[in-house]
Amino acid sequence: MALNDYWQRLTRLDRGIVVALLALCALLFVALDLRSPGQTVQVRQDQGTVFNAPLSRDRSVELQGPLGVTRLEITNGKARIVSSPCPYKVCVGMGEIHREGEIIACVPNRLLVQVIGQQSIDKEQRYDLISR
Amino acid sequence: MTSSAVDPARLAVERRRIFLALFSALAIALHTLEFLLPSPVPWFRLGIANILALMALFLFDGKAAWSVNMVRIVVASLFLGTFLSPRFFLSLSGGILATAAMTTSRKLAGEKIGPVGVSVLGATGHAIGQLLCAWILLVRHDGLWYLLPFLLVLAIVGGVVNGFIADYLLENLRKMPAFAKDSADAVADE
Repeated sequence: MALNDYWQRLTRLDRGIVVALLALCALLFVALDLRSPGQTVQVRQDQGTVFNAPLSRDRSVELQGPLGVTRLEITNGKARIVSSPCPYKVCVGMGEIHREGEIIACVPNRLLVQVIGQQSIDKEQRYDLISR
Repeated sequence: MTSSAVDPARLAVERRRIFLALFSALAIALHTLEFLLPSPVPWFRLGIANILALMALFLFDGKAAWSVNMVRIVVASLFLGTFLSPRFFLSLSGGILATAAMTTSRKLAGEKIGPVGVSVLGATGHAIGQLLCAWILLVRHDGLWYLLPFLLVLAIVGGVVNGFIADYLLENLRKMPAFAKDSADAVADE
């Protein structure tokens, strides 16, 4: 098999390094998936918070930006952007977020949707004052 | 082609200089070419210019690899007009960590490590170096590190490909008089 010919050219250490790095990669991906589910959706625009809502209740929100209206929907504990006036619709393509720290951004419309949870709240409470 | 009238030590020094200059020029050409190629994933560069640094490392020594990579990063950025831009600092920090990883691994492991192993470690160093630079200079958001798994996968792929290319090139170059081990014309000291 052609692949085996290539494998033969590697020294033992080479093989170990490649395998170890691939394993590390897999672990990191799993760690991404293991993040704890968040509690609140926070929408920021130009350094100010524009909207806050818990993930527990289904709702649909219209967010106003320089390009127009971006629709955010919360369903089944997950948030996603349904429609947006931006040219590439990257924010729509990002899909659903529900884990703590996950983000959807619509840069042309200057919106940042982030899921925050207890850990993020605790982190922020460590500071006396945060200016944005 | 032997120049028997010249002191072999001086000859070796001059030849090393010339070959490293050639390697640097090729690295700059590859770096520039790669920059101009379209890429589906924004940051995915195979880093083919690093192949020349690998050649320098395996045919000469660590210092040679540093020369090739540092010259390449600075001069290519001048050609591309990105000198001292954020992109340049990302490239530089990636390059420094990559070259450090490559030279250190070769120094520690010696003959036990081959071009592919060194290249993969270099690619990993590059990815981490770029993330560190982005963290320190550009984005202080924790979410930046979520990029690591994706960049690491791309780095491993790129590193392995570069490593095999370097491996084949080294195999062929070593047959030539200038690099053959017991040739009178030998310039390499590895």
